[in-house]
Amino acid sequence: MRPAQDNQGSFLGRISIRRNQFTDVNTEQEQEDLELFQKHIADRFTELLSPPPQPPSDETDSVASVAATEQIMSVTWLRKLMDVFLCCEAEFKAILLMGRDPTQISKPPFDRLVPEMLDRSIKALDICTAVVNGIDSVRHYQRLAEIAVAALEQRPLGDGNVRRAKRALANLLIALSLEDKENVTGGNKAIERSWSFGRRGGGSSAASKGGATIGQLKSSSWAVGRNWSAAKQIHAMTTNLTPPRGNEAAGLPLPMFIMSTVTVFVMWVLTAAVPCQERAGLANHLPVPKHLNWAQSLVGIHEKIGDEWKKKEKKGSAGLMEEMTRMEKLGHSLIEFADGFHYPAEKEAAESAAAQVAEMAEICRRMEEELVPLQQQIREVFHRIVRSRAEILEVLEQAGKLSAPVV
Amino acid sequence: MSEFGSTLPVSGVKSHVLEACRHVVNALRASDNNLDANLTKLLSDLDTHLSTLGNVDTKLVKDTGFSEIKERFKEAKKIILAWEQNQSLILDAGLCEADLFFKSLHDVQTVLTSFKALPSKSSKKEKDVYNQASVVLDIGMLRLEKELSDVLNQYKHHVQPRYLAVSSRGKDIVYDESFVSLDDEVVVEATSQEDDQQILGSNNGELVDLLVVPHIKAIAKAMLACGYDQPFREAFISVRRDALNEYMATLEVERFSCGDVLGMQWEDLNGEMRKWSKVLKIVTQVYLVREKHLCDKILGEFEPSFTVCFVEISKDTILSLLSFGEAVALRSCQPEMLERFLSMYEVSAEILLEVDNLFPHESGVAFHELSKKLADCTITTFLKFKNAIASDESIRAFPGGSIHHLTRYVMNYLKLLPEYKDALNTLLENLQVDDTIPEKTGQDILPSTFSPMARHLRSIVTTLESTLERKAQLYADESLKYIFLMNNYHYMVQKVKTSELKHFFGDEWIRKHIASYQHNVTDYERTTWSSVLSLLKDNNKDSVATVRERCRLFCLAFDDVYKNQTRWSVPDPELRDDLHISTSVKVVQSYRGFLGRHATRIGEKYIRYSCEDIESLLLDLFECLPSPRSLRSSRSKR
Repeated sequence: MRPAQDNQGSFLGRISIRRNQFTDVNTEQEQEDLELFQKHIADRFTELLSPPPQPPSDETDSVASVAATEQIMSVTWLRKLMDVFLCCEAEFKAILLMGRDPTQISKPPFDRLVPEMLDRSIKALDICTAVVNGIDSVRHYQRLAEIAVAALEQRPLGDGNVRRAKRALANLLIALSLEDKENVTGGNKAIERSWSFGRRGGGSSAASKGGATIGQLKSSSWAVGRNWSAAKQIHAMTTNLTPPRGNEAAGLPLPMFIMSTVTVFVMWVLTAAVPCQERAGLANHLPVPKHLNWAQSLVGIHEKIGDEWKKKEKKGSAGLMEEMTRMEKLGHSLIEFADGFHYPAEKEAAESAAAQVAEMAEICRRMEEELVPLQQQIREVFHRIVRSRAEILEVLEQAGKLSAPVV
Repeated sequence: MSEFGSTLPVSGVKSHVLEACRHVVNALRASDNNLDANLTKLLSDLDTHLSTLGNVDTKLVKDTGFSEIKERFKEAKKIILAWEQNQSLILDAGLCEADLFFKSLHDVQTVLTSFKALPSKSSKKEKDVYNQASVVLDIGMLRLEKELSDVLNQYKHHVQPRYLAVSSRGKDIVYDESFVSLDDEVVVEATSQEDDQQILGSNNGELVDLLVVPHIKAIAKAMLACGYDQPFREAFISVRRDALNEYMATLEVERFSCGDVLGMQWEDLNGEMRKWSKVLKIVTQVYLVREKHLCDKILGEFEPSFTVCFVEISKDTILSLLSFGEAVALRSCQPEMLERFLSMYEVSAEILLEVDNLFPHESGVAFHELSKKLADCTITTFLKFKNAIASDESIRAFPGGSIHHLTRYVMNYLKLLPEYKDALNTLLENLQVDDTIPEKTGQDILPSTFSPMARHLRSIVTTLESTLERKAQLYADESLKYIFLMNNYHYMVQKVKTSELKHFFGDEWIRKHIASYQHNVTDYERTTWSSVLSLLKDNNKDSVATVRERCRLFCLAFDDVYKNQTRWSVPDPELRDDLHISTSVKVVQSYRGFLGRHATRIGEKYIRYSCEDIESLLLDLFECLPSPRSLRSSRSKR
């Protein structure tokens, strides 16, 4: 009855049977894990593509704002995306490393796949740094918007308040539409000069009052290093990223491919969302396998954002973050209001402006609440990638197959 | 300001306030009989004044108040608009003018606040003044923003760190992975104490001329009072951050991505790591301390502006320093990186307190984590360094028996470590080690000799010794093996004795190792010379032919030794002299004795070498001569 009895004569036989059973269970277990992993990826991105309906609320207003909150590329959504990344990453690492014989991931094809993956992770690290820095720029936009809000909330609203608001809004709009080069590298020196106080005499042109503003932008210059380009990094991450074929498609190479795709995708989204060093041609650089189940929602999100990016790229934009886009729209119409403003304010115009100011204030509030946590999450992603890389290197070193240092 | 208070327009609500004031005044008058005459009079006047104010028709008061306000506003407007056109510094116009400007701003603001206190049904005229005031205030604020930037820029002290002239460029010693030979002279470095003094001694002054601080503070006060906190902060932060960036540029700090750092050549990275250690130290311990001091002087009473400004000014730089450290920690630790990691770890640990003090509200966690990471890297590198020594293998014997470059490398490297003794002792505290001197023995009394670092240093040298023993086995010639060991042990002892290392290795270690190479000398003399000298041993029964033959054989054997051992090398001149003397004493003495007893029997023409010949030829041994010298030709030349 007892399985051990069959092999009672041979102690070694028993061991070897056990081991075989173990391997069988292992591969079976592994298949199960792989399928589960793909399912989780699909589920998580489906939820990101179309967030579940919110519980009904009494106030229609708050429902609208909740919906906006959940919208793709909103700061809340980006934070969710970070959570999704961290979950995927943890699950992936468990599959890759847990209970695995170290020598397995040092043999072909892993001797090629693993270093490639580690190389991608280094590029992801630099993107994280650039994006954290880009979010600092967004916080600067937030401060400009806050100045405008504070000025336009003054009652009675005088020409002086409007003048102040207009200056802030003009700076905001310029910042929001600056090209990456001007935005992030030192290239805006010239603009700064012509903007500085020398032209103060004219007084009426709001855009001529931006010394501090541009100085602020310049500070984020070369955050990641000279000649560094986000678009190039994304591109480099994808060059050797191909779906596994044949035998490999059933085994470990698949989750490695999936995780790499997720990583590139997440980095690509972040790069498109906020100001980032050098993004020319960003939209072209993400080949996602459309026919695979796990990737469908991811592809959906990718297409949505990609279309937006192409539109924005033409006219120059600091980023696709939903709050920034709305900020830009509100900024334009508030500047219009400001341009047509005569003291004392007309009731109708003032009321519609007040609604817009309130919306702007709401965006600022959300940014105030969520930008820093988003930065912290990205830092966490950074550290997670660093840790995982170290763990993988350690395993490789254990395997003793790592003759040359993986850089 | 106070006189303005009494003309405040009165509204319905205000009358309650007036009533309350009168109450307070009366209570004050009644409370103390010993009030001085002036104060009593003042209170009495105030009471009268308040009562008339309260009784007069509200409308009338408002009118008189307003016309006065309007006059003041006209004056203030004139002053502010004049400064709008005038681009020169208000500061340069003198204290009076500056005060006048600030007072004008205050007057304008008073118009605004008093208007807001009015009932909404105010006259067209009043509204118009309010509107104008809002514009004039904005113009004035913008003018102050410019003034702030200009003053901060013009009175900025340019800090020129002097240490750059000394180090961080050019003469870095680069240790590479291949243990390539290092010339001893190259390993002369400015000690870090000197560097520190240069770092700290530079830029004694403040970052901004102290004379302008009150003016800047007045600007801050005015702008913050009018609700222009944001523009003040932005302008202030922008100028000060540019100054910091400029400073970083003079320190030649570049930013690198993780990719850059991982792909960097070791020589370049070595320089950047060295620079980082220095820059992190000077930035956190000197520059930012002064920056915070400046912010405190100007904004100390205006929280949260003080904290916000200081954090925003320094954040970017601090983060970039942090990320370089993080990027370096990503590299796989190579033995040659030990010293750099040590210095980075040391600085990162040293500045933790400063960083915590500078940013009490931010969590300095990132730096604590970085420091931990660097500690791990350092320990890993330390172990790898040891492993690399242990696993250094050669195929061929080292030519000439000279000092192996591994020995040079390791000993010169170790000489750099005492500088980091505190850091190393901390890091190595809990790391297991086999020490050759486990207990306090002999004359060693210094605690440093038994510190964790000392134990590990001795252990590293023990590892080196085993590697050298293995290399020694590669010599076919037993004698050369002893010369090789003697040379290398002597080198180790010299390096230890003549440096800080002696306090770590201790007298006991030095004594043992001197004995060890002296033993090598004895072994050498035995293996090379005992058989040669045995030819000269006396045997009275020997015939003339035998004695002649022994003399001939001795000369042949001597020639052989000469041919071989002139190509051997004993680089240390003193050691070589000692070796010459002790060899000479033995060989020449024996030979002289031999000749003394047998010269006449052998006959002069059979004696190839005189004692003097032997003595001078022996001096050629261990001179590392390029090719075997022909003895016959050298003799015939004489």
